[in-house]
Amino acid sequence: MISPSQIFDSSLSFEEKALHIYKLQKAHNPIYKKFCETLETQEIKLVSEIPLLPISGFKDVEIITALDKSSINNFKSTLKFQSSGTSGMKRSKHYVPDRDIYRQSIIRGMQQFYNLEEYVIWAYTPGYQENPNSSLIWMLNTLIEREDSGMSRFLDLGVPLDKKKMSEIKESEKKLMLFGAAFGLLDILEQQETHLPKDSVIMETGGMKTHRREMTRQQLHEKLTEGFGIPKTQIHSEYGMAELLSQAYSLGDEWFQCVPWMQVSIRNPDNPMEELPAGEEGLIGIIDLANIYSCAFILTGDKGIQDEAGKFQVLGRWNPQNLRGCNFLIDQD
Amino acid sequence: MSWIEKHIDEITQAAQNWLRSDNQSLKKAIDKTVEENLFSFEDIKHQILVLKENVEAGQIKEWTKRSGLSEEKNAKGKKVLCLHAGNLPLVGFQTTLGTILSGADYYGKLSRKDPYMLASFLEEVKNSGLDLHAEYSTDLNQFKNLKADKVAFAGSTESVQKVREEIKRLKAAKADADYIIRTAKFSIAYIEDQSSETMEDLVEAAFRYGGKGCRSVALVVTKFPLDSTKCGFTDYIEFFWMKNPQHKKPKPNLKYQFAYNKAIGRSQAWLDDFLIQETDEFPETDFTLNWVMGDEKKVRELKEKFGDVIQAVYTTKKIEGIKTDLLSQAQRPPLWWKPDGVDTIISMLD
Repeated sequence: MISPSQIFDSSLSFEEKALHIYKLQKAHNPIYKKFCETLETQEIKLVSEIPLLPISGFKDVEIITALDKSSINNFKSTLKFQSSGTSGMKRSKHYVPDRDIYRQSIIRGMQQFYNLEEYVIWAYTPGYQENPNSSLIWMLNTLIEREDSGMSRFLDLGVPLDKKKMSEIKESEKKLMLFGAAFGLLDILEQQETHLPKDSVIMETGGMKTHRREMTRQQLHEKLTEGFGIPKTQIHSEYGMAELLSQAYSLGDEWFQCVPWMQVSIRNPDNPMEELPAGEEGLIGIIDLANIYSCAFILTGDKGIQDEAGKFQVLGRWNPQNLRGCNFLIDQD
Repeated sequence: MSWIEKHIDEITQAAQNWLRSDNQSLKKAIDKTVEENLFSFEDIKHQILVLKENVEAGQIKEWTKRSGLSEEKNAKGKKVLCLHAGNLPLVGFQTTLGTILSGADYYGKLSRKDPYMLASFLEEVKNSGLDLHAEYSTDLNQFKNLKADKVAFAGSTESVQKVREEIKRLKAAKADADYIIRTAKFSIAYIEDQSSETMEDLVEAAFRYGGKGCRSVALVVTKFPLDSTKCGFTDYIEFFWMKNPQHKKPKPNLKYQFAYNKAIGRSQAWLDDFLIQETDEFPETDFTLNWVMGDEKKVRELKEKFGDVIQAVYTTKKIEGIKTDLLSQAQRPPLWWKPDGVDTIISMLD
């Protein structure tokens, strides 16, 4: 059986690890077990045959993989991530009994794409104290605590970026990585003209749709490029959620790349067991091996498309409103 | 007799002729539709019988009265492009009838999934020598440079943009054309008793046309739990299916939903071709009926939550503060029923 430390072990193939975790979760995750049994899945030989649990499971029930019943209660007393949402809205819950897995996933994951030692982390987000159940804030806190210059921090919301502190980063020969949700980053620009040091990276963390404005990711990145005065290639994005302990990153374009212990496939909405070929739109399916204590096999509600190399684009939420009613569709009617 | 009176009489006559049981043109259209497996004979028969009852009851004239159509108030001279969806038989009939009654010139993009029956009606209208223009095609390109004044179609947030772009590309409508876009997707039923009449009406409302169409019930609010009701309720469904076999089969995603429900312990009834599930979420999978435990308050809450996608709330008696329709009328609407709450004739007059 696979151990948590083996999740990040590059000497084992993704397939090998995924099939081991599938067996583990099918045996020790009662929700996933029943899901697979009801689907009457035969013996699984390929990763693509593993059923993906709808992500709403994290909202509807507790998704826990535990070797024995007594450890379930221990799980619940540990770290718990919750999705954001307004009051009255059902929120996802993700129990994380081994926070070191998430910590390793964050750091090792970012190291796949960045030399973290070069960067000072600024987070234009609410702070950790106010949001201990946000997986994103936990991630940012981890990155900030890890960075040893003392310049990394959560920024005060509603306050323009401190030019003096930006100069200090420049002088220290480090680069700035500025994290923020789409609307938060635009807020900075609305407060005052803010040009970042030329080698900075902006990491947009989602939040494309707000009550105030809605725009495409491309439009947003153009605005950020112009406003912050850095090249478009330095406007990056992170794709993550409370239900995942790994993230995918896009580095200056629309295409996201996964970390090695995470894999994305595009699934046929009419038959989620079927992987769609490159270039076809469908539901984003994710295998995140860091989810060893919850469920590693997830069918999201996001619409996406994948290229031949496995990079993917997020095209928004899958819209179920095309179903049922009368709906004139150019290519069908 | 004024122009408008003559116009209404002639259209009524054409509709009556079209619906005559010995009309070979309609019979041929129905046969082709069934042969090509587009819809079931039972669903077509139901639709035609409802239309026939309505026309024979004088509803065409009544509709024109209700909408205030007159010699002075009509849409003569306007070009209206109607894009018909093909999710259930003759789904575009009401829009077509409303358009020609208004006096507008009708241009219909018929659905490739329902190309024969509406065409047979339009042929009847044209052959009656009526003083109106009616053109139709299953190819939108046929309406290139039409420059219509109005465009009517049902759509969703995603499809609307694509349709507008295509119409713009073809110059099928004027740049400032008025778009009548229907967004309602499904209806809600509220039931307070389990009498056979109510159960039969509910089954008809939810299972006719395989649950397709905005008038179909996709969500039922009731004080009875699904687990204690499903045995009796499924008997009514089976009886309905014996007379009206479900035409289209669900995709594998329905089984997926069933497996998910089972995994999370949600009450449900698996009927092979349909799934009833106890949840108040948006009914996003085809061939599902969402069963919600609740009262009138819950109906109000859901109506507010889902907003414009709700076409109607059906009940057996009124609910204060909400416009309701009779459950028994869900699949037997009068000609003047209002898609998205808008009278089709009136929408042509503005």
